[in-house]
Amino acid sequence: MDAFLSSLAAFADPGLIGIVLVGTIGGVLVGAMPGLSSTMATALLLPFTLTMEPIPAIALLSSLYCAGTFGGSITAILVNAPGAPPAAATAFDGFPLAQKGFAGKALGLAAVSSVTGGIFSVLVLLIAAPLLSRVAYNFGPPEYFALALFGLSMLATISGENAMKNLIGGAFGVLLATVGMDFTTGVERFTFGVWELSEGIHFIPVMIGLFAGAEFLKQAGKLNLKRVRMTMDAVLLPTWQEIRKCGATIARSCGIGSFIGLLPAEGGTVAAMMGYNEAKRWAKDKSEFGKGDLRGIAGPEAANNAATGAAMVPTLALGIPGSATTAIILGALLVHGLRPGPHLFTEQPTLLYSIFLAMLIANLTFGVLGFIGAKAFARITMIPIEFLWPAVFILACIGSYALEQSILDVWIMVAAGILGFVLARYGFSAAPIIMGLILGELVEGSLKQSLIIFDHNWWMFLERPIVLVFLSLTLASVVLPVIGALRRR
Amino acid sequence: MESGRVSRVPRDIVVGVLILAFCAVAYWISLSIKQAPSALAQNVQPSTFPRLVIGVIAILTVVMMAIGFRRADRTRAGPALTVYLTAAMMIGFILVFQHLGILAAMATFAFCGPLLWGAKNYLAVLLFAILFPAAVYLLFAVILGVYFEPGIIETAIGKFL
Repeated sequence: MDAFLSSLAAFADPGLIGIVLVGTIGGVLVGAMPGLSSTMATALLLPFTLTMEPIPAIALLSSLYCAGTFGGSITAILVNAPGAPPAAATAFDGFPLAQKGFAGKALGLAAVSSVTGGIFSVLVLLIAAPLLSRVAYNFGPPEYFALALFGLSMLATISGENAMKNLIGGAFGVLLATVGMDFTTGVERFTFGVWELSEGIHFIPVMIGLFAGAEFLKQAGKLNLKRVRMTMDAVLLPTWQEIRKCGATIARSCGIGSFIGLLPAEGGTVAAMMGYNEAKRWAKDKSEFGKGDLRGIAGPEAANNAATGAAMVPTLALGIPGSATTAIILGALLVHGLRPGPHLFTEQPTLLYSIFLAMLIANLTFGVLGFIGAKAFARITMIPIEFLWPAVFILACIGSYALEQSILDVWIMVAAGILGFVLARYGFSAAPIIMGLILGELVEGSLKQSLIIFDHNWWMFLERPIVLVFLSLTLASVVLPVIGALRRR
Repeated sequence: MESGRVSRVPRDIVVGVLILAFCAVAYWISLSIKQAPSALAQNVQPSTFPRLVIGVIAILTVVMMAIGFRRADRTRAGPALTVYLTAAMMIGFILVFQHLGILAAMATFAFCGPLLWGAKNYLAVLLFAILFPAAVYLLFAVILGVYFEPGIIETAIGKFL
């Protein structure tokens, strides 16, 4: 209770409220811009937070995360180009509705569904994170190893062409994490005599490169793409009849989004797709889906926002990212000297409540912004990309450099950008590599500690029930997609 | 990106072979990782874990190739020329940054980038190339206190002031 009160006191500071509002407005803007996702914006913003105190820094990133998820719906509805991947499913029915002249209605419903999903998810965060951390309090190195392995195996089900590519990406990230000095023996690995690599590859330049650098190159190949923006008068609140029609869909999507968010490595994109599919599956009359059904907007929007707070649960309680953006927030916590995990709640209880309050304020604010400013936010698509993207790249370079003030980090960022672009052409996603890079140290460290505890008897892993559960889930997450792929052949 | 035409090469074979080659090279490099004294390593040598991960990548790659074996790939059109030129500019940015300083790098990139991407309003490009780098430098160097090695523009401004 004391921690909650001190968080409330912290939010009495207009400066902190201002930071959350800036994060929220910035989030809606970047979310609305096709190609600029909240994940990329969080990675780009991270270096700016280095000089900030941990609470304002994490509050800024969290609010940007929440608002960015909603912002994507604006351009999904008005331009048929989802501003961010989680809004892709919103375009299925949002754009057809806008074409019929009901853009304001579509945006109003998207705002209401998003706020409902978002607030539900922060409540999930508030309740589930401390509970999960209590469970995890008794975890030893074998349990953490199995958990991290499970988190990586869940990559098999996230975005990308196929499960194997995501797993390969995750393993490649883990391999990247081994670059540098081995922390138990002090022996250098894969440093090629470059002393700056002794401390390992910092994940921030890699993140910025994979998300911003690769997108910069992707956009370079789309210079002839012309977008048509639907006109709109004003954003309209849904009528009582419409809320009754969509209420069950929103409630169901809140549950789906939160559950997906709680799973390691899953995020808003998967939640939104499931939210849409379930909305369609449960509908008695499916004929309007794809042509502008309101439930086709409410389902994905409630689900992707419900995943935001829930994805913070494994991130904070276990140190296992719940999504690509929370992987960056986890990175931010580490940069600020905070080690996510069960101990975070005993050592930094104020932080949890501050994140909760920041996300709550962000959700309420973007709801209001969605109504009064959607028309203005949609104008962001009018910014000429020939100025926008060079500016993004310059910020990406400076952000990578600012961390350690090292040119090597800028080289790493550019190399990651080019690599990310090439990999994306062959169906590999950036998120698994980031997950692997962040979890790599935990996987190796906990495996080594476990082997020492077990005196190198691998079978002893199977004698611990929690380890057994996680390893079984890992096996299922890897094997089931393979069986599915073989059946589809 | 993809032309839609069906290629004769099975899906993921080329990329799979490249990953396996990468694994072979990475494994070969791992052979040069020094061995630690056994008391320090406690039976887990520094090269053990990276080799384990390389093995996992290789196995996953073989599974990926097996899944895609009977499925024909679609031919991919090569990236547009602007993509190559943009990548070259990205590398050029760092080289200018290293040798002429951050302001020169930002100004050059902010001028050439929009022109390469088809900007026609030359006055706007010029203003962007002056104002944007100045704003970024002010934010990072002056407000956030990030140290940049003085380059030609910074030195010239310093002499002028």
